[in-house]
Amino acid sequence: MLDLISAQLPWWIAGPGVGLCVVALYGLINARLGVSGAWLATIAPVEGWRPEPWRRTFLLALAGGCVVAALLGPPVRLHGYGRLSEVLPPVALVPVLLLVGVALGYGSRWAGGCTSGHGMSGCAAGSPDSVVTTATFFSVAVLITLGLHALTGGAL
Amino acid sequence: MTRGVRWSALGVGLVFGFLLTASGLGDYDTIHDGLLLQDPYIFLMMGSAMAVAFAGLALLRRRGRTRFAGRLSLPRQRIERRHVYGGAIFGLGFGVGATCPGMTVAMTATGGLYGLVVLVGLLGGLWLRGRVEQRQRQPLSTEPETSAATRVAVGS
Repeated sequence: MLDLISAQLPWWIAGPGVGLCVVALYGLINARLGVSGAWLATIAPVEGWRPEPWRRTFLLALAGGCVVAALLGPPVRLHGYGRLSEVLPPVALVPVLLLVGVALGYGSRWAGGCTSGHGMSGCAAGSPDSVVTTATFFSVAVLITLGLHALTGGAL
Repeated sequence: MTRGVRWSALGVGLVFGFLLTASGLGDYDTIHDGLLLQDPYIFLMMGSAMAVAFAGLALLRRRGRTRFAGRLSLPRQRIERRHVYGGAIFGLGFGVGATCPGMTVAMTATGGLYGLVVLVGLLGGLWLRGRVEQRQRQPLSTEPETSAATRVAVGS
């Protein structure tokens, strides 16, 4: 909003910065940084178990960090869903995105982590399950994306 | 939760959320172009994050202790079928929606309100997986597994 930071930080700042976040959380509180685990903690009361208390703090802070970056960045405006909302009308986009969310939630709980928990924190620690999960979801995502690109004649 | 733990989760969460947003990972096009293998940004960012985290963890291992949580124990889990199945379902959502549990927060904060639809689906998917586990009379997975049995104490 204030336009103090450019639209996209260079990868050689964002990447190492995220890597340091992973190291910091291990080194400070012995915890694997993971966002799906933080979301899972929010539904724990429904299921009747107690999550580790730091997870809720982490999720709130994550949202706060996103808002700070949005305020410092280029003007915030309501927008659609990139090229996907140009191809699909809202009446089709909403159910598709709902299913996207379900796949992300179901898959991450089954595999025990997502892009952050397995993809960065687990892989950096050299955990075999994380390497397999990450290789699987990246391969599937690339194949799906290339497939959608071909199916829509390049519109996606 | 001790003060140290709370402030750690708060600080790391803030920085992590900031970086996810300021690197444009909340934009469909950033991720989609990456998965189309047309823009190397996400791979450079992820690769450099992993390299920095890997190096940082090597130093941390030598220290062997964490600031607020005693001995360092990094995750090390063997590969199971669920990592492939869960990873594939997650990859389906990642490919179609070009987003993940963390990036969706960044998307919503920068005005991409369709992110809220993904978040509703995400919580639904996490819950659904829990229901399936209960049906199969498995212990509920509370990802990531933090019990001592699934972690390896460094230096032991």
